[in-house]
Amino acid sequence: MNERDETPSPKRTPGGEQDDTPTTRLRRELPQEVPSAAAEEPGAAPREEKDKQTGRQRLAQGLWPPRFTRAQLIVALLLFGLGFGLAIQVASNNDDSALRGARQEDLVRILDELDDRTQRLEEEKQGLEDQRTELENSSDQAEEARKQTVEKERQLGILAGTVAAQGPGITLTINDTKGTVEADMLLDAIQELRAAGAEAIQVNGVRVVASTYLTDSDEGISVDGNKITQPFRFKVIGNPQDLEPALNIPGGVVQTLEKEQATVTVARGDEIVVDALRAAKRPDYARSSSQ
Amino acid sequence: MIAVLGLVLGVVAGLLVRPEVPAVVEPYLPIAVVAALDAVFGGLRAMLDGIFDDKVFVVSFLSNVVVAALIVFLGDKLGVGAQLSTGVVVVLGIRIFSNAAAIRRHVFRA
Repeated sequence: MNERDETPSPKRTPGGEQDDTPTTRLRRELPQEVPSAAAEEPGAAPREEKDKQTGRQRLAQGLWPPRFTRAQLIVALLLFGLGFGLAIQVASNNDDSALRGARQEDLVRILDELDDRTQRLEEEKQGLEDQRTELENSSDQAEEARKQTVEKERQLGILAGTVAAQGPGITLTINDTKGTVEADMLLDAIQELRAAGAEAIQVNGVRVVASTYLTDSDEGISVDGNKITQPFRFKVIGNPQDLEPALNIPGGVVQTLEKEQATVTVARGDEIVVDALRAAKRPDYARSSSQ
Repeated sequence: MIAVLGLVLGVVAGLLVRPEVPAVVEPYLPIAVVAALDAVFGGLRAMLDGIFDDKVFVVSFLSNVVVAALIVFLGDKLGVGAQLSTGVVVVLGIRIFSNAAAIRRHVFRA
């Protein structure tokens, strides 16, 4: 396998060294180095012969100048193969080096562990997804409930007069130049409108709600304590086709008022705006019994 | 010189080409590389000793590689592949060291 085991070729190693075994040769050569080293000094040069070259000289000779001998080419070919294999091995060893050197049992164990881990993570993912679905549903429900609450609040706000309202309806104007109109007549008008389906009413900037009261005062009429004077302008949201006839029926509001010398005009409108507001008041005594 | 050039060219080619090692050869490549290294060190020592012969070098190089691969193959078949590879690497490593020591004595005279 090694050069040392083979018989050296005669042309390279002439002389008595030819039959030497490598070990003895090595031992013998060591003392020889000393005179050859000394030979480099000037004056000792003639002792140097071509056959007694040192290893260093042989190496230098082999390296330079380059000779295209058969031996050099063959060795170059083999060394090319060696370098090639070396580079491939180094390159392939660099990637996933942790698993490359592992034995089969280790690999099986690692694979098992990975499978277990995958399963655990899968279960965890499933759980988290369930949780997410649940949360989404509940948040959807909460959102829906919130929407309904807002909608309800708006509707109730219109009834309670805390939000403005707009929609089709009528405008009822009562000109009372003689001062003959009294609170009960206006209350009748309001009742008639409510009966005809009015949803939001305001009189001269005062919102009419469930608790609204009308009283006669010295000069005019007060609504919920706010004094209003003629002309009394009602803005009413509701179905105009219901509201107008309700006022105009024989013996109804309009006729009664006209009997009192007041001028009454009823005008339909597509966009009646009831924007008089009223502060929401928390009841002092009444409490909801539904909860 | 040409030999050194060959080695350098081989390394460069291996790095540039990066071929996929066939699965059949894969387990034997590292051992083969170590065996070839042993042969190269032996050859270098022989050259320094002045007993270098190219025919011997070629034969020892190739037989080193083949025998090393064979041992690993046999070890794999016997189920002691890892241990046998370690053994081969140890033996080759010792030889490389002793050869390197001889080369060192030649080159540095120490």
